[in-house]
Amino acid sequence: MSAATQLYLATVSVYICVNVIASWALDIQFGVTGVLNFSFVVFQAAGAYTAAILSLGPSSSSGGFQRYVGGWRLPFPVPIIGAMVVGAVLAGVVGLVSLRRLRSDYQAMVMLVVSVIATIVAESQTGLVNGVAGISLVANPMVSLIHATRQTQIWIFVLFCVFCMALVGVVMYATVYSPFGRVLRAVRENDRAIEALGRNANRHRMQAFVIGGALAGLSGALLVEFIGAWAPNGWFYPETFVFFTAVIVGGRGSLTGVAVGAALVGVGVQQAVEYLPITLNPSVIASLEWIITGILTLVFLWTRPQGLLPERRRRFPTPWRSDAPELAERSAATKGDERG
Amino acid sequence: MRSTSAPSLVLDRVSAGYGGAAVIEDVSFSVRSGEVACVVGPNGAGKSTLLRAITRDAVLISGRILLAGEDISETAGNDLVRRGLAWVPQLDDVFPILTVRENLELGGYSLDRRRMRARVEEVVAIFPLLSRLLGRVAGQLSGGERKLLAIGRALMPGPSAVLLDEPTAGLSPEMTQLVLNTHVEELRQSGVAVLLVEQRALEAIAVSSEVHVMVDGRLRVSKQARLLTDGEELARLFLGE
Amino acid sequence: MGVLMSAIGFGIVTASILAVSSVGFTLQFSVTNVFNLSFGSVMTGTGFIAYALNTSGVSIWASMAIGALCGGVISVALNWLIFGRFIRHGISRFGMVIVTIATGLICDNTIQAFVGPTFYAYNAQPGKAFNLAGMLLTGQELIIIVIAAVMMTATHVGLKSTRLGAAMRGLSVNASLARACGVPTRRVVAVAWFASGVMAGIGSVALFLDTSTFAATTGSQFLIMVIAAAVLGGVGSAEGAVVGALVVGLATEITAAYWNPELKDVVAFVVLILVLLVRPQGMFSQLSSERTAVG
Ligand SMILES: Nc1ncnc2c1ncn2[C@@H]1O[C@H](COP(=O)(O)OP(=O)(O)OP(=O)(O)O)[C@@H](O)[C@H]1O
Ligand SMILES: [Mg+2]
Repeated sequence: MSAATQLYLATVSVYICVNVIASWALDIQFGVTGVLNFSFVVFQAAGAYTAAILSLGPSSSSGGFQRYVGGWRLPFPVPIIGAMVVGAVLAGVVGLVSLRRLRSDYQAMVMLVVSVIATIVAESQTGLVNGVAGISLVANPMVSLIHATRQTQIWIFVLFCVFCMALVGVVMYATVYSPFGRVLRAVRENDRAIEALGRNANRHRMQAFVIGGALAGLSGALLVEFIGAWAPNGWFYPETFVFFTAVIVGGRGSLTGVAVGAALVGVGVQQAVEYLPITLNPSVIASLEWIITGILTLVFLWTRPQGLLPERRRRFPTPWRSDAPELAERSAATKGDERG
Repeated sequence: MRSTSAPSLVLDRVSAGYGGAAVIEDVSFSVRSGEVACVVGPNGAGKSTLLRAITRDAVLISGRILLAGEDISETAGNDLVRRGLAWVPQLDDVFPILTVRENLELGGYSLDRRRMRARVEEVVAIFPLLSRLLGRVAGQLSGGERKLLAIGRALMPGPSAVLLDEPTAGLSPEMTQLVLNTHVEELRQSGVAVLLVEQRALEAIAVSSEVHVMVDGRLRVSKQARLLTDGEELARLFLGE
Repeated sequence: MGVLMSAIGFGIVTASILAVSSVGFTLQFSVTNVFNLSFGSVMTGTGFIAYALNTSGVSIWASMAIGALCGGVISVALNWLIFGRFIRHGISRFGMVIVTIATGLICDNTIQAFVGPTFYAYNAQPGKAFNLAGMLLTGQELIIIVIAAVMMTATHVGLKSTRLGAAMRGLSVNASLARACGVPTRRVVAVAWFASGVMAGIGSVALFLDTSTFAATTGSQFLIMVIAAAVLGGVGSAEGAVVGALVVGLATEITAAYWNPELKDVVAFVVLILVLLVRPQGMFSQLSSERTAVG
């Protein structure tokens, strides 16, 4: 195989792993627990920046062409672990502010605004994470770790990503399908009932939020170590929507489904558009990806709201359908409406 | 003489629900013009659902509903008022952010403008209590005031059939008397068909000519009210014997 | 003093633009209970329709008017094609957020695919500047303020003293009772969507004149300010939205003048988050948060 083909395959593999981890992270927050985290991509970005800052060393060391806070050169797994810690802590902070009992659309708004504020701050405070230009020159950790050809180092990193994904998968399966996972689902379906049983629904939301934050951080760290650079235009607030689509298409609350959704939506759509048999200019290609993602979401919400591989425990009504009385009121309201 | 007037509101084997299983099943009865029929029964029996089936706020699964001889089972919810049907729901019976006058005017939405204005005066004349409240926001009214407004609002278009869902819930004994013995009675005398759902069975039966007992979504008994003044028999019917 | 007065001048212009847009947003929300996150896309769409007219020789104000009508039509069409159908399909409020975001993304990117990532500007003269008590305002800005004032007055009168207005307000609190009164709910809902689109159109042309350049993403970026103003005043309350617009407009422009222009939006957003968390019903809203959507 040519080097270019190998790089291409490795890139696709890493993107799949990263997207699967990230979509699982969103799934535990939104799919399982029901928190509309529209600032999800911020946690991924926080992880990426952290991993970069913890592996690049002080900003003066690279000739000072990029500026950022701190800067340490820490050995291999530490930047990744640091990214998870920062993702979790940031989730804790955002969760403290936003996880209230709030109309779900208002909560989504709060999260969306957090995302926009984060972008504005990162872009305007250039000393923080090098502003609009972003941080670059992040090295693949395998380069300094293993003496081998560049090709091999890349593939070892791919293996590492697969390993991380598998590990996260094991942890996720153990969590989501445990009694704890059942409590989270119950929070999603009926937080009042949960509180009537003497449990604190917000504490459980917070737990899911923090777990998701840590995993989002991990996904960001893996991605930045592979592609080497991270800038605000890569985590503008609509990016979160890709993960939502992955969760919706795959099947909200279903880990296998979400993994499939992540591969299809996060990577598949992009690949499909790139291989369209017509030549389009790059900005049109990007728009086309968004349009397809949006349409996929609408189509799935309409025709198959439970996703490709639905959540196994079907004791609950389809999450997209409103609770029984609300549904009834509305369907009745519609039936009784004037025609046309 | 009464018995010769044609049935105004007819329910023919009505089953209805909320999208899932039927909540009420196979309900048939009729109300004549100038008559009061009441539906009594335990909580959750499906009495409100029965009224909502008529107003199209519940889903009519099967059966027919006739108003003045015309089939209204397929009529759109917002056209029922033009067919002469008025409804006072059990809860949320007024528009809380509108003033009393605006509530009445919206009640007369199906009328033309001049007729609507005149009708507000007529309705206020029926409910003199409302006259000094016209500028108040409905959300600030007392429970009794609100109920009178709700009934007044329903009367705005001059309906030929009125559905009242527990109009005395939460009212004092005096207000209950006022609503049942005065207002419902006046409605009846003016030739309107009144379908009354009540928890206060004895008071309701006293003003009704027919009584239907609903238990678990079905009519258990339908009787002329004058044959059913004995509290004990009623209690037995409620318990479903 | 000079800085303050000129900041207030800018603030009033921003507030006028915001007021028109957020009243449109809030009016539609109050009637339908759909938190429409694709509103920014309607703004962008109408802005570009006005651009097409403007560059083919139509005056900017005529373009604004025609664009606004198109905005109304687009908005009604979106409800007819997508939102209303999903509501009648029985989607939860939860799902509806995602539906409106997806719709916004589709619209924005469709526009982007046609216009590309470049910036555009209307062909219009700002007119000579007037000095009003230290506020330097161009003729164009004065016209924008007047248009906003007229729109607000018309909305207020329309809601408070017409039958349709009463029907809208009634529908916003109790759809089933409104229907029982004979209100044709679907038609009133369509009117609300139309009005919202018209105001999005006027708001967007005013905005794009004010920012002098615009691109396919400008509307959606402005949306969060619109929502900030609407939520601050209490979503669903038109008067509240006007007050919210004034607060947000002045706060952002004063921040820009005295602190850091790059952070002026952040101020608005922090205000929005605080209001959402502390008093989500806003300052004026009389709507309960437990209503269901109407399509
Ligand atoms: N909007 C709705 N959606 C689904 N189920 C409903 C709805 N409204 C009522 N129900 C159910 O239908 C059944 C009948 O309710 P309904 O309100 O008709 O009872 P009711 O006889 O009026 O009781 P009450 O005397 O307490 O008012 C109940 O089991 C209730 O839970
Ligand atoms: Mg009832």
